[in-house]
Amino acid sequence: MDTRDMVMPAATELTATINGTAVTGRSNETILECARRHGVYIPTLCELHDIDHAPGTCRVCLVEIKVKHADKTHLVASCTTPMQEGLDIHTRTPELREMQRLQVELLLADHDQDCATCIRHGKCDLQDVAQFVGLRQNRFYDPARVAARPVDESSPALIRNMKRCIRCQRCIAICRDGQGVDALIQINSGLETAVGLRHGLTQKNSACVTCGQCVLVCPTGALGERDETDRALEMMYDPELITVVQFAPAVRVGFGEEFGLPPGTNVEGQIITALRQLGASIVLDTNWGADLVIMEEGTELLHRLAERKRPTFSSCCPAWINFVERHYPDIMPMLSSTKSPQQCVGALAKTYLPEKMGIDPARIRVISIMPCIAKKDEIVRRQLVHDGVPEVDVVLSTREFARMLQRERIDLKSLEPSTFDNPYMSEYSGAGAIFGTTGGVMEAAIRTMYYVVNSRELEHIEIEQLRGFEGVRTATVELGGEIGPVKIAMCHGLKPTRQIVEQIRAGKSDLDFVEVMACPGGCVDGGGTLRSKKAYLPYALKRRETLFAIDRNRPVRQSHRNEQVQALYRDYLGAPNSEKAHHLLHTYYTDRKIEMTQTVREVWADIKMIGKVY
Amino acid sequence: MTEVSYGVWDGVVYDSRDGTSSRRDSELPPLANFDVFDEHNRIRAFFGDRGFFIFDESVSLLDALWRQMVEAADQSCGKCTPCRMGTVLVRDALDALRRGERSRLGLADIEMLAEQMTATSMCGLGQTCARALLAALRSFREVIEAELARGPQPEQHGMAYMTAPCIEACPSRINVPRYIDYIRDGKPEHSLGVILQKYPMAATCGRVCVRFCEMACRRKFVDEAVGIKTLKRYVADQQSGPNALTFGRELISQPLGADMRVAVVGAGPAGVSCAYHLLLHGYHVDILEAMSEPGGMAAIGIPAYRLPKHVLHAETDIITELGGRFLFDRALGKDFSIDDLFARGYRAVFLAIGCQQGISLGVRDEDPTMPGYKSGIGFLLEVHDHVAKLRTIALHGEVIVVGGGNVAMDCARSALRMGAEKVHVVYRRTREDMPADSEEVEAAIAEGIVFHFLTNPVRVVSEDGRIVGVEVATMQQTAPDGQGRRNVAAVPGTERIMGCTTLIAAIGQQVRKGSLTTEDGIKFDRWNCVAVDTVDLSTSRPGVFAGGDCASGPSTLIHAMANGLKASRSIDDWIRLGHIAFQPRTRMRELLNDNRMLADDAVEVPVKPQYRVHHPELDPSVRKQMFEEVEQTISPEQAYREAKRCMRCYRTYSVITENAIANISNGA
Repeated sequence: MDTRDMVMPAATELTATINGTAVTGRSNETILECARRHGVYIPTLCELHDIDHAPGTCRVCLVEIKVKHADKTHLVASCTTPMQEGLDIHTRTPELREMQRLQVELLLADHDQDCATCIRHGKCDLQDVAQFVGLRQNRFYDPARVAARPVDESSPALIRNMKRCIRCQRCIAICRDGQGVDALIQINSGLETAVGLRHGLTQKNSACVTCGQCVLVCPTGALGERDETDRALEMMYDPELITVVQFAPAVRVGFGEEFGLPPGTNVEGQIITALRQLGASIVLDTNWGADLVIMEEGTELLHRLAERKRPTFSSCCPAWINFVERHYPDIMPMLSSTKSPQQCVGALAKTYLPEKMGIDPARIRVISIMPCIAKKDEIVRRQLVHDGVPEVDVVLSTREFARMLQRERIDLKSLEPSTFDNPYMSEYSGAGAIFGTTGGVMEAAIRTMYYVVNSRELEHIEIEQLRGFEGVRTATVELGGEIGPVKIAMCHGLKPTRQIVEQIRAGKSDLDFVEVMACPGGCVDGGGTLRSKKAYLPYALKRRETLFAIDRNRPVRQSHRNEQVQALYRDYLGAPNSEKAHHLLHTYYTDRKIEMTQTVREVWADIKMIGKVY
Repeated sequence: MTEVSYGVWDGVVYDSRDGTSSRRDSELPPLANFDVFDEHNRIRAFFGDRGFFIFDESVSLLDALWRQMVEAADQSCGKCTPCRMGTVLVRDALDALRRGERSRLGLADIEMLAEQMTATSMCGLGQTCARALLAALRSFREVIEAELARGPQPEQHGMAYMTAPCIEACPSRINVPRYIDYIRDGKPEHSLGVILQKYPMAATCGRVCVRFCEMACRRKFVDEAVGIKTLKRYVADQQSGPNALTFGRELISQPLGADMRVAVVGAGPAGVSCAYHLLLHGYHVDILEAMSEPGGMAAIGIPAYRLPKHVLHAETDIITELGGRFLFDRALGKDFSIDDLFARGYRAVFLAIGCQQGISLGVRDEDPTMPGYKSGIGFLLEVHDHVAKLRTIALHGEVIVVGGGNVAMDCARSALRMGAEKVHVVYRRTREDMPADSEEVEAAIAEGIVFHFLTNPVRVVSEDGRIVGVEVATMQQTAPDGQGRRNVAAVPGTERIMGCTTLIAAIGQQVRKGSLTTEDGIKFDRWNCVAVDTVDLSTSRPGVFAGGDCASGPSTLIHAMANGLKASRSIDDWIRLGHIAFQPRTRMRELLNDNRMLADDAVEVPVKPQYRVHHPELDPSVRKQMFEEVEQTISPEQAYREAKRCMRCYRTYSVITENAIANISNGA
């Protein structure tokens, strides 16, 4: 790489005025950044500072500037215009406010007006901005124009509704620059400009891996999960059915803020109470499934290490599985065959649990509450549906669960916490709890593998060298015995993951075990978590700290010491990786790579340009 | 001389409708070449980014302004709010008004939207497309109100033309902002599709183009020009290997009969480009080539370290994929004549034989046959054969290259790779005067080549029939002449001898002697190039057209490819119509150029500096030993970043004419 690429001039301080007040600006910041530092509010819409996104397309953040020594003023977008010595900036002139108002009116001219039916109602950046600029009329709205905009409902996980898109391009940026998946492109031009999938494919058949990070950054309701709250409610109300509800490790630490509790509060007990109020028959914990996964995956890994097969990739993240099948099917043999904790719980909730509890498996419906939307994709995988019966029936994202509580007027904050009471599938160790953050699966696996190899517990079970937050972390861990040192890596976010995968495919890596979580931060910031306005993943570290605290406070902190898991093996499965365990808890993967070659004719038919020759 | 009836330009209002100068703020600007658009077709009005001129008082402003907005709405990229919605709302309102129908939006609304677009749009298109409209509403509102009162407006003729400084600067008029946009959009294949509309050799051009577009790029007012060539190479290289866009006969919408055959002489960039377009028009094309491979100067003249042969050949293969034929080892003047071609049934001939014979230095004791003496082009041919493993050439000792163009740079850098101990470049003017690409000069210096500026050979020195050196003299610049160009003159008494084993004369090339004989009936110009009509590239012989270096003298790849496209149009017209058709877009360009309409205006507001990406390059100490490609393709991440630097300086222009413009459907 040429070093000239990276050379940017050093930042210098400069003086300017904002609304007549002298401010100190920096040469490397924009007018918007400077105004924010000085507490001056400028309405924005497309810009999202946390992902360094300022495409300058919405043109709402207008300010009036006068360059030093110039005699006239200009209107510029403050998000893209840099500070300059002597700039005279005004943010609230009557002319400016009029133009900001018109800009929002023009956006709404091409926007679904039916706010009440929108998944984002009340939490929408566009509604906020309309209020800020004082929009009182909508002169240019044309229902026919909006009606013609496409809605892609092909995916089980997410719905892309172009009737609500404001072309901020945040989704494209997070998919391309943040996750490195690059499935989204800008299609058409002029008034027909929209966000689409590469090669004109549907969401379902595209290179999209349904990680859902685009949903987290969308300022409106253009992107959202497929809402299944009604289906879940119907199951819980049906007296013929026994609803088994599980919830993921990360849900309990990323839910309280919706009800006014401090971010990162552990609301496990309140969630259990709420589920019982809603009518769930049995409440299980996905954490229990996480402990089980460690038993299966750890055993599998030790076998592979003995056979000198390397590396092994973790398999509990469904967006990661999609990523492998869509983008790198050649590494499928390196994926652990162990199902995700959600699917392990689902499979056993329809076999082991009814056998133990003496109920008819046909009456059971499994509902999971997940910080994830790829989990919605996972439950319909044909490998995980048997004779038409899925292992898990419905996945609700954390957001849908919040919506469900609000629909039932359940205020989580005022609920008395309760505890799990299922004697078979709800107890969990500290190892299971930390599955929800990057590095957690690895740490949990090492605790158990160390015990299996050495027949004694690891002395310091909080493995600090795994707990960083960089996109890719590598370490060497001494497992002892015949295994000795193992080289491991933890990746979170698909962009860093792609780098590791490329290294492995190029033969430039000697890793033994790689944990991958598709979402940056892991499940605590999954694509199904609560959305934050104007911020991207603001609570990652708080949620993570709470998970570590849960681990510290558990009486049992290793998966193999989970007594309910021990009972499962003793009474039902035999041993980890036994034939029965394989049948119920392991899966396989299929090549779903997208190969598209286009002809010049197709491209020419689609290009729009002046002076087209052919 | 065309009389402006009324109008506004750069904010100045002109009005001579009542015969006096009552509202004339200042003198009318001189408008050149504005009387008629095409034959007997008077220009009635002109609209642009800086205002408008009405020559005929009866022109309907509403209709004309609607036409201007139709083009803008059609070309809006749709990224920013005011342009995406504004162009469409204003277009539709003007459409209703010009038809005399009710419009939801009145003149006040239209003015408000026009102001919004002009003041707040993201790029040049939105910022400029409504300026004429605003000027009309502000200074001649009573004209528009009178039109409204009259009802439906009469049908008018005319055309609109959108362009940008980079497009106008490119000989091939590649729609540069559009292909950069497609990269931003995430569609490199569409980006390549834009380039392929004009020529097939995108990866080649992305490596060796001299980049007139970048010289015109307005981003230079902010930091540096956009890396247009770098991006072109990126999209071309992206679409190679398994992802390659596929060409096939299905691209040819109207295949012509078996007798519609055209001969192209020379498989260089001009010939390949012409053949490509003729094939797409449905003709059957044979390319006759003296060498045994395609590419012409791109194959011989550009060393492999800048343009790998497989890259070039992948692009010349497109001709075969489209059904064209290469007939190798057939040299004009030796194996066939022009008469032979017509006798074989070709309906037209395109001459693109290049300038493949070196020009001698014209100094004392010069003998081009003496061992150690090479012409620049002759040496590059040897290098080509060496790399292709057809023969082995080795240099030793010190090598002197005379000349300051790209061929001289290629010779010098190749000589180093062929084993020369030291390479000197002798050039009679200063470094700033060198016609070579400055990046090539920098690369040569980095590789250790020694430059001797203001130095000129005066005599060749030999011993035992071999070259052993060159006598050179120091030059000095003379006072600037009438055109401001400074000449050079030798400083008496500065003669000295520079020793060398090899002397490479790379000061220029000409059409190979003997290629064309008097029987061929092709006239030459005073520079010994094939004489052509610069508008249609026809030669003195009907049915024979010529382009590229053989018509213009040694020039650039992009000029040659632009000539190929132009010749294909002329040949198509000549065969189908018997004459060359009018080109409306060419005429629009002429109007803009003759009157300097496309202002190279400065960027008035601060723009965030974002320095351009550079091709990753190998270290000079490594690369000077090898012929593998020195520059690498940029990554997708770098391409996205670079593409965001384009400011899209689109401008819309339109004319209203008396009658329908001839050949208006013809693309460019």
